[in-house]
Amino acid sequence: MLLSSTVYFVFLTGLFLLYWPLQRWRVAGLSVLLFANYFFYAKWDLFYLILIPGASFLDYLIGRGLGSAQAPWLRRSLVSLSVFMNLGILATFKYMPFFLATYAGIAQTKAPAWHWTFPLGISFYCFQSLTYTIDLYRKDGKPVRSLLTHMTAVSFFPTTLSGPITRVLALAPQLEKVGRTLSSEDGGKALFRIGLGLMKKFLIADYLAENLVNRVFDTPNLYTGMEALIGVYAYALQLYYDFSGYSDIAIGSALLLGLKLPENFNRPYLALNISEFWRRWHISLSNWLRDYLYFSLPGLRSKWKVFTYFNLFFTMLLGGLWHGASWNFVIWGALHGAALAFHHGWRTLRGNKPASANLAVRVASRLLTTHFVILAWVFFRASSLENAMEVLARIASLTVSLANISMPIAVVLAIAAIAHYLPKRIYEFLASLYIRSPFFAQAAALAALVLAIQYVAVTGAAPFLYTKF
Amino acid sequence: MKIQSPWPVKPFLVIATFAVGIALPQYIPQWYNWRIFEWATVPAVVDFQPRARAAEPLQEEAERLRPDTVSLKSNSSRIHDPTATMDHFYASLLKTERLQNGTVTRILHYGDSPTTADLITADVRGLIQQRFGDAGHGAYLIAKPWAWYGHRGLDVSASGWKMDPATLKGQKDGRYGLGGVSFIGQTGAQSEIKLKKPGHTKLTLSYFGQPGGGEVKIMAGDIEVATLNTDLPEPADAEETWPVPPEAQNFKIIVTRGAVRLFNVVFRKEGPGVVYDSIGLNGTWAGVLAVHINGQHWIEELKMARPDLVIINYGTNESGYRNYVETTYPKDVREIIRRVRAAVPESSVMIMSPMDRGAREAGGTIGTVTTLPKLISVQAKLAAENGCAFFNTFEAMGGPGTMGKWYMAEPRLVSADFIHPMPAGARIVGTLLYQALMDGYNSYKLKQLRRAVATAAPAATPTEARP
Repeated sequence: MLLSSTVYFVFLTGLFLLYWPLQRWRVAGLSVLLFANYFFYAKWDLFYLILIPGASFLDYLIGRGLGSAQAPWLRRSLVSLSVFMNLGILATFKYMPFFLATYAGIAQTKAPAWHWTFPLGISFYCFQSLTYTIDLYRKDGKPVRSLLTHMTAVSFFPTTLSGPITRVLALAPQLEKVGRTLSSEDGGKALFRIGLGLMKKFLIADYLAENLVNRVFDTPNLYTGMEALIGVYAYALQLYYDFSGYSDIAIGSALLLGLKLPENFNRPYLALNISEFWRRWHISLSNWLRDYLYFSLPGLRSKWKVFTYFNLFFTMLLGGLWHGASWNFVIWGALHGAALAFHHGWRTLRGNKPASANLAVRVASRLLTTHFVILAWVFFRASSLENAMEVLARIASLTVSLANISMPIAVVLAIAAIAHYLPKRIYEFLASLYIRSPFFAQAAALAALVLAIQYVAVTGAAPFLYTKF
Repeated sequence: MKIQSPWPVKPFLVIATFAVGIALPQYIPQWYNWRIFEWATVPAVVDFQPRARAAEPLQEEAERLRPDTVSLKSNSSRIHDPTATMDHFYASLLKTERLQNGTVTRILHYGDSPTTADLITADVRGLIQQRFGDAGHGAYLIAKPWAWYGHRGLDVSASGWKMDPATLKGQKDGRYGLGGVSFIGQTGAQSEIKLKKPGHTKLTLSYFGQPGGGEVKIMAGDIEVATLNTDLPEPADAEETWPVPPEAQNFKIIVTRGAVRLFNVVFRKEGPGVVYDSIGLNGTWAGVLAVHINGQHWIEELKMARPDLVIINYGTNESGYRNYVETTYPKDVREIIRRVRAAVPESSVMIMSPMDRGAREAGGTIGTVTTLPKLISVQAKLAAENGCAFFNTFEAMGGPGTMGKWYMAEPRLVSADFIHPMPAGARIVGTLLYQALMDGYNSYKLKQLRRAVATAAPAATPTEARP
């Protein structure tokens, strides 16, 4: 059940109708949400009905243990058990085919069949679950007392497919609050975000994917260097609109149930440097990698500064591998890791001075950062290393023709680029306009959007790019 | 007493109004075209489908990819050959299969962009050479006129050539060689062709000789194979063949003096076996072979090539121009056939229809470009009228909407333009063509056997009747 499908919105409407009358009773409200979470998982595969409750229950017990245990060895053992279990789930249900293929390559034998890989972005569940036990281990919070609250928070359905990765300790108190209401303003905000997400996904991301990006990456040699370059720019926009569109729908869906999720994007291609890019792009993952991986690596407090650089590089390398077990993602992660380490070193050399206020320098920094990110996206999107090199070789051919860039593609690209750079206050103004509109105008706007999607985008519900991670 | 709504009022009203609004067109006939919601979606919410382990199209295609175990399901997968024009090709193939000394069967496959990248043709080549023997890679261009150009098992890096594909009509004399591209190089121009596997024993260079023509040196690894002087008293199409060491995999063609005009090289091995030439021109259409290329020149080139089967596999680009299909196209195809027959009258000629070509339809489904079925029916008619065989690729691969199905498969079998197959999709089409050729060949062998039995039977009868 994709967050952009009709089935999902029927489900969400049903949940909205059921949840609000019952949420005034804590147990009833939480039970409805937990049922919805597991219903959502079951739509992907019934096996999740064993896996997720089992793993959540174990993490709940570990959390209780961490809440009461004082002995360091016991606390370490408990958190290790949680890490081992969650990474074990990831290894078994996501990476096993890669492990088997690697083993088969070494042993020069045929890789055994493995049917237990799952379509859902299971890593988002594992990451979310790990925030709980690691936070407790670090004494950054107190264990959730109620099993029902914990199970509901850790498996909250809007975040299941692609985040935003939400700390259990941040979501649980919201769930615990009895007698919540949904103001007209929050309701309007929620519907606006959902509408915005759908628009981003269908009218921009899917349109660019089908009419340009997929074609260029499928058969780069059929396009000129200029077209291939525009295809790569288009991918940068497609990925942003696809993923931020998903996040908008997830955040809007949660808000419709009175729950606030963290923001995941903040106009990333405006970043002045690579460190800032990661504070603007997939913010919840960057924070997770920083808080739970980077800070956990050894040597950070060492006098040897080299550890800092190495850890930055290593964190991003693992981040790359998390996206997929292939050389493409290794290169993508390594590029970002190296750039972050370089930027960290550069900043240290300059005595941590703030970024220059000079307009030309700022524009140049933005262009440099964005183009570096876009170059790295080639490896992220390409089907193989060979495919990535083909795309780059086409760009390097410097052949010029725009025969394959039709006017509608150019218009969508221009709108996508401009919309990304628009100041936040314009979105806020549009949102407030929507919120202040009467209910029938809000409904009409949503219906017009759905109609436009039906008749303009015509691409069907393609999966969100990040659901495969 | 104030009654409190169980739901947040305004969001509830928005959702309810929206739901009524999108459901309404189902009940008002005048608004029927504005339907965006189906009630059937509601039960789908509680439909817990078991996890699909593979996309359906891939399973279907996997079955079709087993040529030895799957019989051809319908006539649409067969070659239509009412005049038995394919018999010449089958007879040659039979000799090759019987390992008759050095018998080589040569197939020339003319096609558009998929053929330019050796998609489909590489798969047929592989399958047919696996069964009948490998008599060499066949024709290959001097350089890459398009980045998309490439053959499986070979690669070329070149510099200094002026490349004129027939599609762009860059040469006024219309001479583009067998491969449809003219290469003019001055001193220093060169090409390095790398073969992945050794074993080729002969190299043929096709060129245009003319008074004052320059010289070109051919190297096999470090060994100089020959120096060719293209200075001829009269302008003429020519070719020269040299033996090359079978272990050689790197070949160089270097212009050492003056200006030369080359067309293509041909790599061959000792027979028996099959040579399958993949001759693709990017963005081509029937008019290129019928009009752009000088007729007499192409006839001479075909005569030198001596193919047993010529496949004309055009139509995808034409399908974008309904007016052309309905007016000039039949004339162009007739002219192509006339030219081939004038060059190699004994050869089999087969028209191979294009693959499906997808296009988005209202509502989002991927259908078939509307002109395509019309074009294919014109091709079938022209083949029948002109005594050519016909292979309906479009029907064999599943008919209308196949590219839509292929696009939705995981992994995708066709590129996002719904035209160019991905390698797995090309393999499917290649296998279908191979199966169709083998089906025709087996029928031919059966026919020969029956004929042999029939001629032997009358002679045997008196003996058997003897008391």
